[in-house]
Amino acid sequence: MRLLHLTLIFLLIEIANAQLKNERCFICHGVKNFGIVEQGKFKSLYVSREDFESSVHSKFACVSCHVDVRVIPHLAKPQKIHCLQCHFEGNVVGAPVTAKPEKYKESVHARAIAKGKNAPDCKDCHTVHYVRRPNDPKSTVFKANVPELCGRCHTSIKEEYYNSIHWAGIQKGELSSAVCTDCHQEHDILPPEDPRSSLNPKNVVGTCEKCHSDVKLMKRVGVPVKNPEAYKESFHGIALKFGVVRAANCASCHEYHNVLPSRDPRSPIHPANLAKTCGKCHPRANENVAKGKFHVLPGEKESGIVYYVYTFFKWFTLIVLVGLFTHIALDLIGHLRRKRKKSEK
Amino acid sequence: MNTLNKKFGGKMAKEKMFLRFSLSWRIQHFLLMLSVTLLIITGFALRYHDTWFGRFLIFIEGGFEARGTLHRISAILLFITAVYHLIYILFTKEGRREFKELLFRKKDFSDLIASVKYDVGKDEKPPVYGRYSYKEKIQYWAFFIFVVLMILSGIVLWFHNYFFGILPKWFFDLSQALHSSTATLVLTFLVFWHLYLVHLSPGNFPINASFWHGYVSEEWLRENHYLEYLEVKNREEEK
Repeated sequence: MRLLHLTLIFLLIEIANAQLKNERCFICHGVKNFGIVEQGKFKSLYVSREDFESSVHSKFACVSCHVDVRVIPHLAKPQKIHCLQCHFEGNVVGAPVTAKPEKYKESVHARAIAKGKNAPDCKDCHTVHYVRRPNDPKSTVFKANVPELCGRCHTSIKEEYYNSIHWAGIQKGELSSAVCTDCHQEHDILPPEDPRSSLNPKNVVGTCEKCHSDVKLMKRVGVPVKNPEAYKESFHGIALKFGVVRAANCASCHEYHNVLPSRDPRSPIHPANLAKTCGKCHPRANENVAKGKFHVLPGEKESGIVYYVYTFFKWFTLIVLVGLFTHIALDLIGHLRRKRKKSEK
Repeated sequence: MNTLNKKFGGKMAKEKMFLRFSLSWRIQHFLLMLSVTLLIITGFALRYHDTWFGRFLIFIEGGFEARGTLHRISAILLFITAVYHLIYILFTKEGRREFKELLFRKKDFSDLIASVKYDVGKDEKPPVYGRYSYKEKIQYWAFFIFVVLMILSGIVLWFHNYFFGILPKWFFDLSQALHSSTATLVLTFLVFWHLYLVHLSPGNFPINASFWHGYVSEEWLRENHYLEYLEVKNREEEK
């Protein structure tokens, strides 16, 4: 009798587990050198069980995505799967849906793929089996890992970036420092020629300003926070605002990937390099351009002589205004009094 | 006098008119008025670029780059006016005489005090002025200094590409601060001193057109520049 009961329970469990268990997949796919030879090349079909089980999809069965695998061992090659199989509006499994896939479709990468070129889609950045949350330090898309990720294809840019102060900040643990995605966007990476691009000359200032006008952040990292404001009040800034894109924007002087502070001799804004940097647009520029401050706001004491002249004129204008008003008032009062006297007579 | 009577119609026809401003004087004033007005409109458009007013001005000036061109054309006009004026006060008899009249004297300070006293009712009689009162002298010298400052700083800003090889970076920042600060002062003096004194004040309101035709009435001259009036009368009698 007891034996019968046990058999029944066992059977019930078997029915409940009708779906193929991941364990059974890992019998083959969990072996490190498991793979096939395809077009004369060895292709690994290994999936690290440990990594998969710490991914966001750990609770899912392999066959939830690989829906065409019904019998194990499967003889046919399973069809390619796509993230949008689950991550679509109105899905029943509760997969998070964001605007990101839609944004991605506009990007240079998606357009390159559409033209048949080799470019990354979801899996190239987020991995196939080991997708982790972006705030997980082990994730490929974790902020500090982004340069390495993009650098897998953009190798020379990666080297440039690794020289920059932004990367130095990340290495020091200042995760607010900029990586690729902070300037280029994450999913809607557009070419700079596109007016919507964060790197279109008209939008560069706004892109840098996201961080460089943040008072708390700039104080923490010791960078002057008023530079974007001063730039916007400068001839360059005003001209750019009114569509004169040949006017210098942030990147014209600070470079793009290898941004460095002025104290670094490699920096284009190091005093010794300023003549060359300004000379890109102003051909007669020489060492004189290093004599003085940049991003000058006349109302700030740090501006030196400019501040004193500005302040003098501010007060002088005010005094003049008061003096002139007094004179006008006296003149009018005098006129009124004399008029009244005349009419009294 | 007959043609003048026609010019001013029946109302003023009875009154005797005096030519106060020569043609050369009026041309200089007209050029200054035109160039400064244009410079102010195009300059303040840039200064207040981030307000609706600035954007409106830039719009009516034909866009951002056209605004700059217009400002520079007006600057050339102002420069020509300044050179014309320098030649006038240095090399013409009339100009030298006018310039001497515009120099400050001790009397101007006592006139200022007397004028305040008269306005507050301490004195019964107003101070009497020569050809130019202290008010007009302040106007002249204020604008003289402003024009010099504006032309110098303006040249540095306009030809920055040339001066980049000669002047330090801070000099450009200084010129920019000076150019915009002085512009505010110019506007202040223009509206609250010059326009008030010559057009808006009682006795001149709404407009004193002598800047255009050069003539003032006998009564106006007697009231506002009594000493000049006496001089003109003396000269007439000598003839």
